Amino acid sequence: MPEQWTIRLDGSELPDKQLIGGKAWSLARMRSLGLPVPPAFVVTTRACKAYQDQQDFPDGLIDEIREGVHWLEAQSGRCFGSGPEALLLSIRSGAPISMPGMMDTVLNLGINADTASALAEETGDSRFATDTYRRFLEMYAKIVLKAAPPELDPDAGPDAWLEAVNAAAPSPVPDTLEERLMAAIRAVFDSWGNRRARRYRKHNNIPDDLGTAVVVQAMVFGNLDDNSGTGVLFSRNPLTGEREPYGEYLTRAQGEDVVSGEHTPDKLEAMQSRQPEAHAKLLEAARVLEDENGDVQDIEFTVQKGELFLLQSRTAKRAPAAAVRIAVDMQRDGIISADQALARVTSTQARALLAPRLAEGAAAAASVLASGQGACPGVGTGRIVTDSDEAETRAEGGEAVVLARRSTSPEDVHGMLAARAIATETGGSTSHAAVVSRALGRPCVVGCGEASLLAHAGETVTVDGDAGKVYAGALEVVVPDERDDPALVELLAWAVDRAPIRVIRPDEAQGLDALDLDSIDGGEDPERLPELLAGASAARGGAIASDAGVAAALNAGVSAIVAEPTLPVMLAALHQSRARNG
Amino acid sequence: MNEKHLVLHGLAIKKHGTPEAVAELMGLNEDRARQLMDEAVANGRVNEAGGKYMLTPMAQMSLKSAYSKEYADPRGSENFLQAYQNFERINVDLKQIITDWQTLDVGGDKVPNDHSNSEYDEQVIDSLGELHERVEPVLDQLAGGLSRLAIYKDKLLAALEKAEDGDIQWVSDAKIDSYHTVWFELHEDLLRITGNERDE
Repeated sequence: MPEQWTIRLDGSELPDKQLIGGKAWSLARMRSLGLPVPPAFVVTTRACKAYQDQQDFPDGLIDEIREGVHWLEAQSGRCFGSGPEALLLSIRSGAPISMPGMMDTVLNLGINADTASALAEETGDSRFATDTYRRFLEMYAKIVLKAAPPELDPDAGPDAWLEAVNAAAPSPVPDTLEERLMAAIRAVFDSWGNRRARRYRKHNNIPDDLGTAVVVQAMVFGNLDDNSGTGVLFSRNPLTGEREPYGEYLTRAQGEDVVSGEHTPDKLEAMQSRQPEAHAKLLEAARVLEDENGDVQDIEFTVQKGELFLLQSRTAKRAPAAAVRIAVDMQRDGIISADQALARVTSTQARALLAPRLAEGAAAAASVLASGQGACPGVGTGRIVTDSDEAETRAEGGEAVVLARRSTSPEDVHGMLAARAIATETGGSTSHAAVVSRALGRPCVVGCGEASLLAHAGETVTVDGDAGKVYAGALEVVVPDERDDPALVELLAWAVDRAPIRVIRPDEAQGLDALDLDSIDGGEDPERLPELLAGASAARGGAIASDAGVAAALNAGVSAIVAEPTLPVMLAALHQSRARNG
Repeated sequence: MNEKHLVLHGLAIKKHGTPEAVAELMGLNEDRARQLMDEAVANGRVNEAGGKYMLTPMAQMSLKSAYSKEYADPRGSENFLQAYQNFERINVDLKQIITDWQTLDVGGDKVPNDHSNSEYDEQVIDSLGELHERVEPVLDQLAGGLSRLAIYKDKLLAALEKAEDGDIQWVSDAKIDSYHTVWFELHEDLLRITGNERDE
């Protein structure tokens, strides 16, 4: 009998995205490009619809899922529920349209006491096997059973873990692996009806009966032997934008190990010498995927006993310098148009690139007063003040202050707002100071160490939020010029031709009749600009160069803005008009 | 519950608070809160500047010493303390989500999230929604032990839904009652109720 509710992703066809959802579709597409992905089948959106109608699995679905698992066993040469080579599965939701509320991925389904000992034998790593089991139970409790998961004691062992999870969860972890698999698939279907999903569909006019698909995929192991490993590859360097592939590889490791940061991964060259064949295939796959998608790819992969598997490929996030270089390079190579290149660089990225920074050599000559973790980039100079009320008062009196505290709390927010920069003695990248400074856009260094700052109250310092350093004295700060960098110059030329508003540098604007917002009350408040700009033909100062300022200028029909640097303003104007015209 | 204590406690949570904000959070009548706050100013326990009120160091101290009596019931309730522990566990996830909101991982380097990638932002807001679903039963359990805490659930959901509708400053903006602001206030409230210290 032909399958009614499931489809095997064997590369023989590219099924309809409506039927199999976005995630399965991209797996199917990778397979159709001849790229290696771990075997998977998908429970279709049609099955989801039937489930919503009947509030239960439709007839025949359970049998099809069983047969699907058998097919995964045959494809992978592994066995679901027993050793010596146990098959573990990942269960993912995937609607045709990416939307909120869908269930998170459940990994390692198929692990129990028996398969954990088989896995311990196979990998020669019993710690890994029991950790996998523990993590599975924590994940299952949180995602499928919706419990506030208790922290499981690594040394307590499987019986104690199960007991702890069952005590915390509204319903127990099912006994058999098959029941766990079915319950995970049900949980995906149920997530289609939760608050977030319903709300999103209503707001975006997405029909309630579209349904989500469920991808069931074989897990691959990067820790089976010395010919196994796992890593991440970017098709170009995401920090600098250089054309060289950039990545990390960890021999004999699972994905969690790379993320956990417990092990230091090797550069890609190490993979090239150990796994030349897999390495060559990987670089070829990166090229194919970049061409196919027309943008830089971020690819997660695993090598299992010398065999390469791609787990995921998506458009890479990139640092501001890389965004500019990649956009310009890809336009030169004819991959994208100048319009697309401009669309791929945000005004914020351009501002970050052109923001004031320490002069070259300034840091080397200066003495470091304290070192910590950079929490918000940027440079700020001022006198150290250790009290937030005092910081506010002094700043109002026109003094440049740096707020230094042991740590910050909500009662320091007004002081943080008033300061040019913030530094704390204790706390890490998720501390209050780090979180709030990023929200306010103030340069910030956290965790400088006990007694490192407060004793220096009254001294003038320079805080470098990029490097995580507090320097004694006022260091020389330079302002980069957008006309000095060849890639920026190219972008500038395209932007000048296309921007819906003229942007003029102050030294070229003499004689121009421009409204000066610096001389008007409220000119620094973007919310007041719509009324202040009414009737003006050109404007300068105040909040005019911010994204909101540019939007207000476009709305008011202003024809020229006087500002420097000009690129961020032109990019903001381009993005605004693109958003308006769809 | 002693209204005078509640007003001072409310000011410990809403630093530089207005009578309106303190009254809302503590479940008091606004005029009554204003009257009590002005009385506290008159007897030197609170300072006022530009319509915003803050506790004096002395009031901070006397407030702390009053907690063990004011909150003897929740401190003695197994159920309430269990809910508080559950909140602390979920708090670890919340801090991670706020960090994800503010920073992007670019090839192993952390760079500030400039919110130009709406797909990424939507994913983070979605994980905030997932966290909210997990914290809801915990909030109900807390409000079961101390009914005034019910307001936090409403304020968190209100912030979440604004963020979900695309008004992204409602995730973590420190200047408004964003999800992170309200969460932080709830955390502060719970620390004071239970007599615990924040580990930063």
